[in-house]
Amino acid sequence: MPEQTATRVLTCIQCGKCTGGCPESGKTPFNVRMLMRKTQFKSDIEESLPWYCTSCGACTIRCPRDVKPSEVVIELRAKLVEDGDIPLALQKALENTFVQKNPWGRSRNKRADWLEKLDFEVPHVSGTESKRLLFVCCIQAYDPRCMVIPVNVARLLKAGGMEFGVLGEEEACCGNEIRRIGESGLFEELQEENLGSFTEYGVQEIIALSPHCMNALKKEYGDTGIKVVHYTEVLAKMIAEGSLSFPGSFEKKVIYHDPCFLGKQNGIFDEPRAILKAVPGLELLEFSRSRETSLCCEGGGGRMFFEVESVYQRNAEVRVIDAGKRGAEIIAAACPFCVMTLEDPATEKGLVVKELSEILMEVL
Amino acid sequence: MNILVFAKRVAATQEEELRIRDEGAAVDLSKVPFKINDWDNYSVEEAVRIVEKTGGTVTAISIGDAESDEVLRRAIAMGARDGFLVSSGEIFHDPGVRSRLIQNFIRKENIPFDVIFTGVQSEDDQFGCVGGILGACLGLPYSSMVIGIDAVEKDHMIIRRELEGGLQERVKIAVPCVLSIQSGINEPRYVSIMGIRKASKVERKVFQAADYAAPASAGIEVVRWTYPEKKGGATMLTGELDTVCGQLLGILKEKGVFQ
Repeated sequence: MPEQTATRVLTCIQCGKCTGGCPESGKTPFNVRMLMRKTQFKSDIEESLPWYCTSCGACTIRCPRDVKPSEVVIELRAKLVEDGDIPLALQKALENTFVQKNPWGRSRNKRADWLEKLDFEVPHVSGTESKRLLFVCCIQAYDPRCMVIPVNVARLLKAGGMEFGVLGEEEACCGNEIRRIGESGLFEELQEENLGSFTEYGVQEIIALSPHCMNALKKEYGDTGIKVVHYTEVLAKMIAEGSLSFPGSFEKKVIYHDPCFLGKQNGIFDEPRAILKAVPGLELLEFSRSRETSLCCEGGGGRMFFEVESVYQRNAEVRVIDAGKRGAEIIAAACPFCVMTLEDPATEKGLVVKELSEILMEVL
Repeated sequence: MNILVFAKRVAATQEEELRIRDEGAAVDLSKVPFKINDWDNYSVEEAVRIVEKTGGTVTAISIGDAESDEVLRRAIAMGARDGFLVSSGEIFHDPGVRSRLIQNFIRKENIPFDVIFTGVQSEDDQFGCVGGILGACLGLPYSSMVIGIDAVEKDHMIIRRELEGGLQERVKIAVPCVLSIQSGINEPRYVSIMGIRKASKVERKVFQAADYAAPASAGIEVVRWTYPEKKGGATMLTGELDTVCGQLLGILKEKGVFQ
């Protein structure tokens, strides 16, 4: 374990603020405070435990001693990765990322297929004047449910008069989830490959579609000198400046779910709400837990790729029930992982989940 | 027990739409990523597990170009002690040529072994017979489709072979021998990038395939790459969801899939 992490763990005073804010502690065998204690004493930790963490970051944000428990969990996972002893589904995701540069193992040559759904050309970033890159990332490049997001955002950016380009097949996974699974070596390779492309093409600004990508590119790629933003930040600015407006009407009660990597980990709470408020007819509702205390959907930290062992009520279901109680007809999220995890329980309960850009396309 | 394991670097083609180029002369692999042959991955894992229990060494051997070194690094990261690259820019499609090359290499370099593992087949050529031909070349007992190794003794092994109909055949095979390992025999461990980086520090010996080539020319030669003949397309059902579901149910009943 790196010295820095070991030192941080030793400062833990077992106050329990981490466990108090953890979306997994209490309902699963995962207890983040206990893991910190066991790490302090170098006690054995049951191997299934670190995989419950969703990397939502609540523990790290709440910790009064800056122990960064979520980083300690990554270190625990890294040891299991090093030993080659990890859940099979995660192993597949890592091996796929190594070979095809995306956890789903889809062909890298099909990474830009979503562009075919557009009725206008998007240039390679090297051919743009602004050197502004739309970073698509894996789930939105390949998953049939999420492929609509880059298409929508590209149309919205064009409508707002913003120039941008893409890397196409040259883009590799951002590595945000890979690092959190504990595969730091693979993360470094992905980082190196993407940074190589950014440098080669002189990228000046990156618009990330997923909050997970934004987090990695902004905070974990080192001092790149490249401005990294989430697409909601760009659209909110366009709306405020008047370059993007919505002539249509969306007469629905919409509740906004704060994605952990956008909200609590990167402080972007207002922009998605400002966008939704700009939609004529839309009534914006709030969850009982929103903004900094928003409940994690359990899609992060590698949890998109495998199921943990114990059976318990999923947070996505808790979220959907809350949305129903608040009178929402539609749950809006600005993260592909949140959309994917919320959609199943929402469909069961007669609610609709929409990625934020899907609502905007209905009124553009 | 000293085990030699053959590991081949193959194109990861499952997700690719492969294109034939130069009027059938070659397949365009310029944008296709490469990986270890799946069956060889299981073979390396099985060899490492045996050695972890009984002692001995695992030596991974790859025949191919310089890039094949990556599967050797991977095998070493999994637990192989040595990695040998039998280097050649030429692709040996003919399994007979491959087998004789291996035979000559092992004999000329006097490489000690108790057991040789090959994968049942390689994902690219799919002849599925290098193990068998090699056994014959070396005059050793051979067993194919090995799905389990139950006992490892000095002079014999008890293995299980996978048969059709959900059956397995338990076989006692004398050592030294050649085994073709079936996928699913184990769950290969994850090989971390850090592990591969550490393995890179272990020296891999490079041999030149030309030094071991058999005098006889290839009996099998690729004449031309072709696409399979196109047959009738799928039936597309269109219309409202209820109508489509009704149509689908009707078809399934008609075909006897659903009663």
